[in-house]
Amino acid sequence: MADLLSATLPVVSDPVTVGGVTLELVPPTSIVSLGAFAGAGRDELVGRVRAEFGVDLPDVSRAVRSSYGNVAFLWNGPTQWLVVGEDSGELFSRLQKCCGDVCALTSQGDSRTILRLSGMGAREVATRLLPIDLHGQVFSTDCVASTLAGHIPVIVWQTAQTPAYDFLVFRSFASSLFHDLSVALNGHTFSETDHYA
Amino acid sequence: MRLTCPFCGSRGLEEFTYRGDATVRRPSADASQEAWVDYVYLRDNPCGPHRELWYHGAGCRSWLVVTRDTRTHQILDVRNARDVMLAERMSPEGKGEGS
Repeated sequence: MADLLSATLPVVSDPVTVGGVTLELVPPTSIVSLGAFAGAGRDELVGRVRAEFGVDLPDVSRAVRSSYGNVAFLWNGPTQWLVVGEDSGELFSRLQKCCGDVCALTSQGDSRTILRLSGMGAREVATRLLPIDLHGQVFSTDCVASTLAGHIPVIVWQTAQTPAYDFLVFRSFASSLFHDLSVALNGHTFSETDHYA
Repeated sequence: MRLTCPFCGSRGLEEFTYRGDATVRRPSADASQEAWVDYVYLRDNPCGPHRELWYHGAGCRSWLVVTRDTRTHQILDVRNARDVMLAERMSPEGKGEGS
């Protein structure tokens, strides 16, 4: 019988800390996308999630956290959300029972990887790669943005006031983004990364 | 150039892809050959405000109808293309078209 493929981490580097800012790979998490069906699907979905998780799905680019289990709902486009929770099959089956008939449910745990940048000065580091305004007045805890980090598509989620940012990135780009962020940690801008091996 | 996405706010051009003229409408199936040639191949090249389709691929993945002045790149309006389409279908002239 063939050997099963063993799971490998998308980033093999150890956490990097420079000047009090730490870049690390977040341990595997469950990520599930919700896409409301056309018509009344959206309202029905919002109602079902409210009943099961006690929160309203955001209709602006933010995350809301449910106190029923360690689960967060991230806005990810009109009528689309990402649910991020602990790594187990439980989240998916819970969502399937709750709203599987009114939305498209897709597990994204193998698709997305999360890199975390945290500590005083994390904003300055993130700004070296991200083209969006991260100033506290316009981007604060639980703000979410889909954008480009350099050339890499990411979903950025500010998870703490410290500040801390979670970068949800496609798994195959995680290693490149880790490299770019570690270069940014050392004070270099994106355009300079090519000169930094 | 920057576009203000109705969902994501002001974003740089690198997040968007240009699609083309947002004013062309698919003719009915029994329309003349001229109407189809016009729809498929012929485009105006206006000097001034123009409605065009843009895709916010690196952001919320929405199709947008952007009104842009082709002389100055001034952005006069950005709307969700889905809303534009739904509003058109509801209007008396748009009824039945494309549905």
